[in-house]
Amino acid sequence: MAIKRTYEVMYIGTPETSDDDITILNEAIEKIVTDEGGSIVKTEVMGRRKLAYPIQKKTEGHYTLFEIEGSGQEIAELERRMRVNDTIMRYMTVRVDEERKTAEKHRAKREDRQTRRKGFNGGNESRETMAIDDAQ
Amino acid sequence: METKDKVDTVDEVKNIDLGEELKAERMPRRYQRRRQGQFVPDYIDWKDVDFLKRFVPERAKIMPRRISGISAKDQRRIAQAIKRARAMALLPFVTD
Repeated sequence: MAIKRTYEVMYIGTPETSDDDITILNEAIEKIVTDEGGSIVKTEVMGRRKLAYPIQKKTEGHYTLFEIEGSGQEIAELERRMRVNDTIMRYMTVRVDEERKTAEKHRAKREDRQTRRKGFNGGNESRETMAIDDAQ
Repeated sequence: METKDKVDTVDEVKNIDLGEELKAERMPRRYQRRRQGQFVPDYIDWKDVDFLKRFVPERAKIMPRRISGISAKDQRRIAQAIKRARAMALLPFVTD
C-alpha cells in the first residue's frame, strides 16, 4: 500500500561539535528512520564546509547528507527530532524520486533515438543515409 | 570611445549586475548577450554547487533567461535548484 519514496535529507551541524558526536548523531538518525519503517540508502558525511552566509552567527558547519527510502512517515518523525536538536543549525528534505524518474525517462528516450538511428544506418546499405550521417 | 564601449560590454557579460540596467537605459541597447549552447543535464542536482554557479553571476542573483539562453523548462529547474542550495547555505542570497 505504502508508496516507496526517495528523499534526500541534509543537515548542517554546529561547527563546535566533534567528529565523534557527528557520528553518534548520524547513528541516532539512522535508528529513527529504521524504527519508523524507512531505510537508509546512503549516508554521506560531507564534513566541515564554509557557509555561503552566516547562520546563527557561525560561518562554518558540518554537512551530512542522507538518502532515505520510505513512506514519508519517518521523515515527519525525523524532522520533528531535528527541529529540537540544538546541534542541528539547519536541515532540509527534498523528495527526489519523481525528478529522477523524469530524468531517467528523458535519458532513455534519447538513447532509444540514438540506437534507432544507428540501426537504420547499419541495416540499410543506402549511401544517402550514410552521407547524411557523415554530414552531421 | 569605441574601445571603452567594448570594455563595458565584456564586463557586463562577465559580471552581470542587474542594478546597473536601469541606469543604462538611456544608452543604446546592447545585444550579443545570449550565451549559446548551454548544456543542461537531465537531472539537476541541487547539491552540485559548481554547476549552479554558472547561473549565478557576481551579485549572486539568478541569471535571467534572456542572458543564460536556456529553455524555459530548464530555467525553472535551475532556479529551483539554486533556491534549494541557498536554503542550505551552499550558495549565497546576496553578495556585496
